[in-house]
Amino acid sequence: MASKTMKTSAIALSAAALLLGATACGTKENNTADNTNAGTNAGNKGDKEVTITFQNIYPDPETPSYKMLHALVDQYQKDHPNIKIELDSLNTDQQKLKLKTQAASKEVPDITIVNPSAQMKPFVDAGLFAPLNDMIDQNGLKDTFQKGLLDYYSFDGNVYALPDGNNIEVVYYNKDLFAQAGITAPPATYEEFIEDVKALRAKNITPIAIGEKDSWTGSFLFMNVLLRTNGGPGFLQDVLDGKKKFTDPEFTDAVSKFQDLIQAKAFNEGATSVDYNTGGNLFKTGKAAMMIMGTWETGAIDASSVGGKVGVFKFPTVGGKGDPDQFMLAPGSAFAISANSEHLQETKDFLNYFMLNMPKKQFELKNAVGSGQIIEGDFKAAGYSDLAIDVLELFKGVKGGDLAFDNTMKPAIAQVHLSSIQNMFVQKVDPANVAQEHQAAFDSNK
Amino acid sequence: MNVLKVPARTIAVFVLPCLLLYIGLVFVPIVVSVYDSLLDWDSINKAKFIGLDNFKTILFEDTNFWPSVRRTLMYAVFSMAEIPICLFIAALMNRYVRKANTLVSIYFVPVILSVVIIGQLWKTIYNPTEMGGMLNGILTSLGLESWTHSWLTEPKFAMYCLYFVSLWQYFGYHLLIQYTGVQNIPNEIYEAAKIDGAEGFKSDWYITYPMAVPIFKISIVLAFIGSLQAFDLVWVMTGGGPAHATDTISTHMYNMSFLSLKYGYGSALATILVFICLLFTVVINFVFKKVEAKYT
Repeated sequence: MASKTMKTSAIALSAAALLLGATACGTKENNTADNTNAGTNAGNKGDKEVTITFQNIYPDPETPSYKMLHALVDQYQKDHPNIKIELDSLNTDQQKLKLKTQAASKEVPDITIVNPSAQMKPFVDAGLFAPLNDMIDQNGLKDTFQKGLLDYYSFDGNVYALPDGNNIEVVYYNKDLFAQAGITAPPATYEEFIEDVKALRAKNITPIAIGEKDSWTGSFLFMNVLLRTNGGPGFLQDVLDGKKKFTDPEFTDAVSKFQDLIQAKAFNEGATSVDYNTGGNLFKTGKAAMMIMGTWETGAIDASSVGGKVGVFKFPTVGGKGDPDQFMLAPGSAFAISANSEHLQETKDFLNYFMLNMPKKQFELKNAVGSGQIIEGDFKAAGYSDLAIDVLELFKGVKGGDLAFDNTMKPAIAQVHLSSIQNMFVQKVDPANVAQEHQAAFDSNK
Repeated sequence: MNVLKVPARTIAVFVLPCLLLYIGLVFVPIVVSVYDSLLDWDSINKAKFIGLDNFKTILFEDTNFWPSVRRTLMYAVFSMAEIPICLFIAALMNRYVRKANTLVSIYFVPVILSVVIIGQLWKTIYNPTEMGGMLNGILTSLGLESWTHSWLTEPKFAMYCLYFVSLWQYFGYHLLIQYTGVQNIPNEIYEAAKIDGAEGFKSDWYITYPMAVPIFKISIVLAFIGSLQAFDLVWVMTGGGPAHATDTISTHMYNMSFLSLKYGYGSALATILVFICLLFTVVINFVFKKVEAKYT
């Protein structure tokens, strides 16, 4: 009896296996059928059914970026019934990981997201992205971008990606909490800044909110100190060019100044276990007095419970050095097109439309602060907040600056840097050692 | 085989699906990883064959490798140390608690919860005083303010905090396994022992523990392999930080492969991890063979 059941199941199983095989064959046949269809359809120009995969980092329906993306995509599909745009919306970290995996198997989606300069270089070197020079000349798209912005996405004279924004690092501060600590004016020097930090601490107010579990946050701030101690931009570039070393005084100074800030208890306790969002929320719920972050946060701050109470100032000079009008620059994540896209032309046409219409849509959605494209329109009249207007005012005075560490150096060096800076949040370090650590990582990963 | 009178062909058919899955999902990737570990490769551009250089760097130059091995092994030691306690409690429950199933189910709850939820939960418990951490809150209300710490961010404590969460989570799991094992010991043996004058702890010592050895071994192996792969909890709670203070082999591997874009190097770490797993599985099996031979 037992053996009979076994036999039956064995037969059932092999039948199932056969079926599986059959379906596998089936899909294969379908595929070829599709291809031939596409081939014949290509003859009837314009009506070709095309699906464009659009990988993006706007997964949250609450955000203006999500609304902008969906509005533009819906409109385009309506105007071009033969084109279907498939959205692959992921959060930033997931997208980075997915793209790396896809790149390893050369299956990059038609449109994807990359970060500027050093971070996108490996992909460009591998020939995964299509040059967009011809496309940005169409419909005057090129001229909508701020001058020089596309340079961060260009290699050997070719533009490979188009940014969704361009931001700078500023200090947001909560006016109420500053008043409570008796601070009357935003600090103009780092030394005053540290005094203010101490004054806030004395009133039991967390001076600066940071989410240092995501270690780029601390690095972004540290780089601002370095931008000052170096007396201007270009320190990392000089290191890359072999003109400077991490062990030079500009760098060790920056480390020791940054350490002064940490030792003055400027940051929320246990910062290294706090992630970016939680850190930001400390500020946005009025639990911390300052947040030093990219201007992309402006909209979210306005929408939070401290909206209306927040002001903004430039990062001060450090030890009398540096120009406050030089900022940490954060050219945004950018849209790139796969070089192996099956529908290269259609994808280019769509992205052209998308980029041309994005600024207007962003403006309507009150999300245009930090746009990488020139926006015509009266922000004040459109109902933008005072904070937003102040931030826009800062943009006008920008006299250059530096990119984030991981946009300038190779990922392997950047990781050493990130954890080295994170370490400063949990223990006192000797600046010379930090510099040594950086230099060693640089030398072994050239 | 002969007992069942099933032809070898049938057996092959039954084994095949799983075997294929196993080969495809476990064996092939391991082989590919071993090959990748010989490359200098960022997973995007062309790879360069560099022989055993990655291993050389890992073993002799990587300042983060040996500490992360030590943490991983400590993780394993702590996880295994918990199992005798589970067995002890299981034996007690079997003797004193009627309808212990409910109790076991309650112990089992943390196992069902996703690690991400557990991580977030314990993070709020370990949070610094400033952020309203519960543990610090309790210490403060007991007048032990000097004992409060920012648990997850002080390198001294962070790793132990992680071990503890893991022990807490898997306590119920091993308890369930041990309890089932203890229950399966036939009652007649205890009755016979009673006549011979062995009751209570004496019967535990001479009957329950020796007879639970095979089940005990299962728990040990599971706990060991599980902790070697410890990743998710660490990633959720500390991300391997602050400054690598809580890195385990697998978080180090993730860092190298996906964040530093040294895919070959990461694969070499993976290969070493596989090797350690195999080595210790052999050792554990060997030890238990001796123990089993002695007691059963």
